[in-house]
Amino acid sequence: MSPTIRKLFPYMVVFVVVGAMGWALSFGTLPKADFSFNNGTEPKTIDPAKATGSPEGRIINALFEGLLRDHPLDVPPDASGLTPMEPRPAMAESFTLSEDGRTYTFKIRPTARWSNGEAVTADDFVWSWRRFLHPATACIYAYQLYYLTNAEKYNTSVVEVGDVVEVELPDRPDEFQPFPRGTLLRGELREIIKPPKPEPIKDAKANAKALSKWKETWAYVVAVNQQQRVDEIQDIEPTVRVFCISPPKEPGKLAAPAKIEPCLHVLIDFDTVGVHATDKTTLVVQLNNRTPFFTNLVAFYPLHPVNRRCVEKYGTPNWTKAENLVNNGPFNMQFRRLRDRVRLVKNPEYWNAENVALEVIDALAVPMESTSLNMYLTGQLDWSTTAPSAIMPELSQRDDFVRAPMLTTYFYRVNVNRPPLDNPLVRKALNRAIDKSIICEKVTKGGQIPARSFVPPGLAGFKSGLAGDFNPEEARKLLAEAGYPGGRGLRKIQIVYNTNEGHKMIAEVIAQQWHEHLNVEVELRNLEWGVFLNTLHQVEYDVARSAWIADYPDPNTFLDMFVTDGGNNETGFANPKYDQLIADAASEPDAKKRMEILHDAEELLMDELPIIPIYFYVSVNMVSPRVKNFTANLQDVHPLHLLRIGKSK
Amino acid sequence: MAAFLLKRFLWMVLTLWIVFTVTFFLMRAVPGGPFDGEKQLSPAIKRNIEKRYHFDDPLAVQYLDNLRRAAMFDFGPSLKLEDYTVNEVIAEGFPISASLGIFAMVFALTLGTTAGIVSAIKRHSAYDVGFMILATVGVAVPNFVLASLAVVVFVFQVHLFPAAGWGTVRQLILPALCLGAPFAGYIARLTRTGMLEVMGLDYIRTAYAKGLSHRRVVLRHALKGAITPVISYLGPATAGILTGSLVLERIFAIPGMGSHFIEAATQRDYPLAMGVTLVYTFLLFFMNTLVDVSYALIDPRIKLG
Repeated sequence: MSPTIRKLFPYMVVFVVVGAMGWALSFGTLPKADFSFNNGTEPKTIDPAKATGSPEGRIINALFEGLLRDHPLDVPPDASGLTPMEPRPAMAESFTLSEDGRTYTFKIRPTARWSNGEAVTADDFVWSWRRFLHPATACIYAYQLYYLTNAEKYNTSVVEVGDVVEVELPDRPDEFQPFPRGTLLRGELREIIKPPKPEPIKDAKANAKALSKWKETWAYVVAVNQQQRVDEIQDIEPTVRVFCISPPKEPGKLAAPAKIEPCLHVLIDFDTVGVHATDKTTLVVQLNNRTPFFTNLVAFYPLHPVNRRCVEKYGTPNWTKAENLVNNGPFNMQFRRLRDRVRLVKNPEYWNAENVALEVIDALAVPMESTSLNMYLTGQLDWSTTAPSAIMPELSQRDDFVRAPMLTTYFYRVNVNRPPLDNPLVRKALNRAIDKSIICEKVTKGGQIPARSFVPPGLAGFKSGLAGDFNPEEARKLLAEAGYPGGRGLRKIQIVYNTNEGHKMIAEVIAQQWHEHLNVEVELRNLEWGVFLNTLHQVEYDVARSAWIADYPDPNTFLDMFVTDGGNNETGFANPKYDQLIADAASEPDAKKRMEILHDAEELLMDELPIIPIYFYVSVNMVSPRVKNFTANLQDVHPLHLLRIGKSK
Repeated sequence: MAAFLLKRFLWMVLTLWIVFTVTFFLMRAVPGGPFDGEKQLSPAIKRNIEKRYHFDDPLAVQYLDNLRRAAMFDFGPSLKLEDYTVNEVIAEGFPISASLGIFAMVFALTLGTTAGIVSAIKRHSAYDVGFMILATVGVAVPNFVLASLAVVVFVFQVHLFPAAGWGTVRQLILPALCLGAPFAGYIARLTRTGMLEVMGLDYIRTAYAKGLSHRRVVLRHALKGAITPVISYLGPATAGILTGSLVLERIFAIPGMGSHFIEAATQRDYPLAMGVTLVYTFLLFFMNTLVDVSYALIDPRIKLG
């Protein structure tokens, strides 16, 4: 090492340190927003079709707008502080419903514009919903549109002989981007040639995988008579062609009437799915059944339209970058800093821009409740969407503390296939031995409401079916009736929950109560989130902690979970009578009767108790007094474009 | 020197490969996958997602494919932050962690060495006792306690700093001090021990005998010898500090890299977890190499080999 370098070394160090500090300081400061709120966490995505949570919802509702939009009614809040919400015309200026309740006709507002100035058309909705339902987009919320004719078939790639199908050839411009699509061929499906079915595998997950792999080897015989390249549709000479997603390696293995061609998808033709643009401003939606809550679904963010040109040009996920995004809501995205903030600015192209008061909004991603509270108390936030439960009793004394019931239930799933829990009497005994008010008062402390039903109160026209209340005496009797007098002969029961201090405390209280009142031995087991979900899906537990947030304000969002083999059932509960009630409710034209049927369904559910309801959530918001037009509601939805800044008191 | 760096580089590549391999298989051995959610997906849709991310390939194929892409610094899309690729996540988070880390490190070094030198020279004085008690407290008190105390005092009692957030210099100071405090304490103790050892050596006596001033002896001669343990500590400390601190990032709502280490693992975001792990490995290796090079620069007796 030369002595010069050695001499220079200390100076080099100083130089590097000063340079680094200069660099660290070089990040410019931001001008302050008009309104800042804590969005809780970084949105997983701002793609309306793919998002599922409420932080995502707040951003998406600001950036995009559906046919309808939830709007508070112009009435004073009720006794519990709630203002009812109703879906009101947004991108659609009006809609009509047919006599049979199955056809909605939406008229798109002539002044509806994308942020780049283009008009929003009925075709934009057809395309967006097609993208939403397309299996390659793989949307978790796709079932929200299953009420449309043939939508479920399209989404789950189910085709039957005789259906008109669309076949996508493997010639997409970018193989990993489902849009723009490859060449589409249309025609009638003549036959499905299936190779031998694989032997069933014991592990349910592996079996499902093997079956879907097998499905990809099916060969579809299609009488093709139409071809579509991009938007150019042309009729072609009808020819019988054979398509397969993963064609066999050796040709001739499948006896096919023509050469087997590779393809990406064979789906039911989207023209048969119940959404059509009859002209630029008319969207016709065809439903399977009368669906009273369909307007709520239309106002829910997964059905918001996305801009086709933008998505096709930049591809997923790059179209969601601030510099590329084209949207149609009251706000535009100025920039997004990962895990810091999304900055929204007013969209001048929005049809109702004159009534949007806020110019610049910051949606911060602060995950820690106490930090959020600190920021709120020091004026860095105007609205905090959470508050630490430990000091909830003190906070609830404040004027700026807004608490309201919410459509969310905390409950325990019970594995109805495992003895002794397969006996309804045991489940009833367990339910009646829990003093839920203790949990709300001493553990959660946030004003939560003890639950005796699965559907939370507050839904207009619905009367809950109730489970037994807390009564240790009755609980002991039920247990004795089940053959375990005084808890004798009952094995140890395990409660599993995902690792979380709150869930743990609740489980401890319940374990203690079961032990005290029923002499049941209880073991607690906490699992890390991923493992917990796995355990739940495979129904490998005795009792498991759960919660459910309403997708739309209707009892159906809670009750249809527990139909036999329902995707979110996860308890093993299977009751044909229950399935029938849910199906009856879906096809019942009379709103009042429908609610009665749903009531009967809940009564049955609360009698069988594959789940034990514990409490109903409340929403907690801290809102600065200078913020106007903030209303509490059941879904905890607070449209940003309605908020105003006034003088504080 | 060049031979040394080349050798180090080869070792680094080997280490990165081993870390990659272990991380890859370890992550996939844990039950639960990235696409398990509270809401069940239909098998057809799940299969489509798995296909898109190539999760349906045999594990060996996935391994080679990922390795090939990682070798070209492409870690693929994040599975949980769906609008971002792993590279983008790191590119946004790392500069923030780094600027916070630089401030914390400068603070820790300045305070730590100064306190260490003063303590060593004024041994058994009130300064010495005071600094060493402070250093012990700094090392022993956990981050989140210190941060909470700092918030109570400097945000709510004296309205000096904002409570949390990122974007201005004022928002940077509290978290940087809290992040640097334990390192400052440790450095102070190391410096003091080093100084005490060196001050008793012959060459220091010689320096005094030459008639050099006390100040010159301490700063020019003694410090050089005493600083070596501090430098070897700086390697891993800088790597750790630069990649962020989960707890402080949460308390001060700082969008750095630290949270990704935990969240990527718990949410089974395989590509992101792999990305941050490899970045950390690289930093650790890079800093250690830097430390070894600076040894040689400071101490002529040390030869790189």
